[in-house]
Amino acid sequence: MDPDRTATQPATGAAVTPVYDDAVVKMFFTATVVWALVGMLVGVIIALQLAWWPANLGLPWTTFGRLRPLHTNAVIFAFAGNVCFTGIYHSTQRLLKTRMFNDTLSRIHFWGWQGIIVAAAVTLPLGLTQAKEYAELIWPIDVAITVIWVVFAINFFGTLARRRVKHMYVAIWFYMSFVLTIAVLHIFNSLAIPATLVRSYPVYAGMTDALVQWWYGHNAVGFFLTTPFLGLMYYYLPRAAERPVYSYRLSIIHFWALVFLYIWAGPHHLLYSALPEWAQTLGMVFSIMLLAPSWGGMLNGLLTLKGAWNKLRSDPILKFMVVAVSFYGMSTFEGPMMSIRAVSGLAHYTNWVIGHVHSGALGWVGMISFGMLYWMVPRIFGREVRHPTWVSHHFWLATIGIVLYTVAMWAAGLMEGLQWRAINDAGQLANPIFLDITARLEPFLWLRLIGGTMYLVGAIMMAINFWQTIRGSGRPVEAAARAA
Amino acid sequence: MNTVTRAAAETIQGGWVLGVMTGLFLVFFVAWTVWAYSPKRKAQFEDAARLPFADGGIE
Ligand code: HEM
Ligand code: HEM
Repeated sequence: MDPDRTATQPATGAAVTPVYDDAVVKMFFTATVVWALVGMLVGVIIALQLAWWPANLGLPWTTFGRLRPLHTNAVIFAFAGNVCFTGIYHSTQRLLKTRMFNDTLSRIHFWGWQGIIVAAAVTLPLGLTQAKEYAELIWPIDVAITVIWVVFAINFFGTLARRRVKHMYVAIWFYMSFVLTIAVLHIFNSLAIPATLVRSYPVYAGMTDALVQWWYGHNAVGFFLTTPFLGLMYYYLPRAAERPVYSYRLSIIHFWALVFLYIWAGPHHLLYSALPEWAQTLGMVFSIMLLAPSWGGMLNGLLTLKGAWNKLRSDPILKFMVVAVSFYGMSTFEGPMMSIRAVSGLAHYTNWVIGHVHSGALGWVGMISFGMLYWMVPRIFGREVRHPTWVSHHFWLATIGIVLYTVAMWAAGLMEGLQWRAINDAGQLANPIFLDITARLEPFLWLRLIGGTMYLVGAIMMAINFWQTIRGSGRPVEAAARAA
Repeated sequence: MNTVTRAAAETIQGGWVLGVMTGLFLVFFVAWTVWAYSPKRKAQFEDAARLPFADGGIE
């Protein structure tokens, strides 16, 4: 490195113009769009099954029990995973002014990950599962995930090692936490003794198994659906708004407080269980503390637009991002609240949790992803988006869809929670027949189906729009605009 | 000790973890806040915030 270079100045000049690998970005981009459609379609199918049971079709492969894990794996690991890889490969090279460490590793990562997804899509409907939520995949696939993740880690950290910018921008720190934590979580939660090619026994038992599972499960939320997406927010939101992040210092505090606290919050999934009470309290206290860094991050994102709110009116990309950050704020307010033991007693096992999940998943993860993809396409494919008005339509379909989905689930969840515990004057259960309460959910389940379908239709419009853009009918982007 | 009394004993013993973790968190929190907000680093972080805009490079 040049000794006279300041901390943040890139090495500029003709001699060192980096050549980025955008081919792999395009590959991950394509996979993202394909898996988004698959994962959300399966979501709509299982939503239909809950509202109208004949949609189970009476076949073992298409029943809710097998398609539900297919949905969660497809949206989390296939859709959200490929979104993260798209953004990470695109922004890391630019932030560090260097090409990815090794093109072959990038391709092994890409094809390996898609292979894992296909294996998941085959085994889950066949009923092959480890029966741990978000870690259903059988042990040979777990081994493959480990290998591919190590390939990704070598490629990513290799890129950091040969960076040409000394300071690692805050987004890179969020990506690092993603790469490292997911490796640790996956390995420890998946430890199992294989019995046959498709069966295995977990090394943990009883309460320990539950604790490890929810340490994993919660951090899958924290480090798969939150930190990498915050990294994307810290890069793409300033880019789209054309102004630097509101406070870089706040972003540093946001990062460290978040990663410190998240790791301890898992027991909020096990309140009122056989877990020792002190561990439950630990999870509850650290979950409540999580509100602070989460909202710090949300405010940092929103205030980036300070003085530029007028852009929001005309730019659908910024609309996607601002709604995403707002839903991040909402679900990270709701989460700590649901971690309070008494509130958990009401919400746990009800559709309220499903509402919380999808305000995070559709509102935060989905919307920030769409914003990033719309911003990126003209820049990596060199063509303006074919139907600009569709971007707006997509935004409104998705936003209204999320509202219908979450409001329906909140109402359904509260109703269940209250009716389950209601006691009449004689001190008996006011609703002794569980099925009666379940039957009352029906209108809410249909409403959720409508909301989810709107969200899916928006995603389909995005896919068609991108297809037509890339297949040549998009107007070429002017060279100057592209370089910017 | 039977399992019930052992569980009860563990319940009491575990509380210190919460105390220690909260204390550790506070110490770290103050430390990195002081670090991030020290006037010495103001200029450096303002530069850093502009990193996303120095795209330079070709495909
Ligand atoms: C078209 C959009 C979607 C629809 C209609 C939909 C529908 C559903 C349904 C019906 C369930 C099962 C709920 C139950 O068991 O009661 C579910 C679960 C779940 N979905 Fe979605 N979903 C959609 C999109 C997404 C996305 C984009 C993500 C993540 C990025 C996601 C993440 C999850 C998760 C994590 C669960 C499991 C929740 C839990 O166990 O508490 N979904 N979804
Ligand atoms: C400060 C942040 C958050 C806290 C403290 C928190 C807390 C919680 C709590 C208490 C539950 C309910 C557990 C139960 O009763 O079963 C839960 C479930 C869940 N949350 Fe959050 N949440 C937070 C943010 C988020 C975000 C941003 C997302 C999505 C991107 C998310 C996704 C989920 C999922 C997928 C579940 C369902 C887990 C299951 O399968 O049961 N959470 N969360």
